Amino acid sequence: MQNLHIPATSYSPQVDFDFARHHLSLRGESYPENASVFFAPIMAALDAYLTPLDHVRITVDVQLAYFNSASTKAILAIFERLNAAAVAGNYVTVNWHSDPDDDTIMEFGQEIAEDSPALDVHLLALA
Amino acid sequence: MSLDHFYRFQDLARQQSVVFYYTGYFSQAIVSAMGDALRQRLNQTDASNVQRRKLFSVFIEMAQNVVHYSAEHLSASDSTDQEIRRGALWVGEQNGHFYVVCANPVAREQVGRIRDKLMPLLGMSNDDIKQLYKQKLRSDNDAESKGAGLGFLTVAREATEPVEFDFIDEDGPLSPITMFYLKASI
Repeated sequence: MQNLHIPATSYSPQVDFDFARHHLSLRGESYPENASVFFAPIMAALDAYLTPLDHVRITVDVQLAYFNSASTKAILAIFERLNAAAVAGNYVTVNWHSDPDDDTIMEFGQEIAEDSPALDVHLLALA
Repeated sequence: MSLDHFYRFQDLARQQSVVFYYTGYFSQAIVSAMGDALRQRLNQTDASNVQRRKLFSVFIEMAQNVVHYSAEHLSASDSTDQEIRRGALWVGEQNGHFYVVCANPVAREQVGRIRDKLMPLLGMSNDDIKQLYKQKLRSDNDAESKGAGLGFLTVAREATEPVEFDFIDEDGPLSPITMFYLKASI
């Protein structure tokens, strides 16, 4: 299937879903005007990618400097799908990068790890 | 408005240590540009990194609230994207704390709904607000909300004191529109 690449803007993240290499990455800022409009095609591509997968190693890198409340909900939905894929027999590693003095983003990474026990979540502090 | 009025306006803003003030139409492009300017302006203040992040977060939630919900719009009333709506936003500094105040017109019939969302937050501790946020984040969306329905909760979570809000009848008690004010201190 075709890889998904969306360049960053000042208010939306760079999305690099390299499905061929099973590497997914989100980085930058996320406060689009309408998060559900922005994330809908991303969710659709992710669903199409994950559904047939079996026994695949997926690596997810998230390095977001800021995300608004509506984006938070969308990001949580992405991890619910990834957790379901891990439960279904895939191996998903999540590298959650955050600034060490940004408690909110670090704690959200912890919450994702607690919510999604099938994911192998690594909380990493940015230098 | 004579220049004399402008001087008084400027003087009041200076006395109140207003870091940033905007009134007029809000769109995503304006919010984003203001956000960049605010970040740069905050870099010149004594604000800690944590304060800057919280302030930026409150600013974005409030400004996007105007874009989504202000009762006075230039965009079509049923659009959900590329909206342009009227409001005002202040960022000020007071005794080492920052505050953000946002004002926008709302339909009078929305007053009850807004009050019901905000009133419970006023008496809650930071931990209670965090717990409620976690719970709401994982629940279904509010049908009338264009975002995640988490904007006010996010503002309350970032604030160091309970948020303040009010409705002011600028055009008299019979007008279908009233002005909604929301203030958070960080």
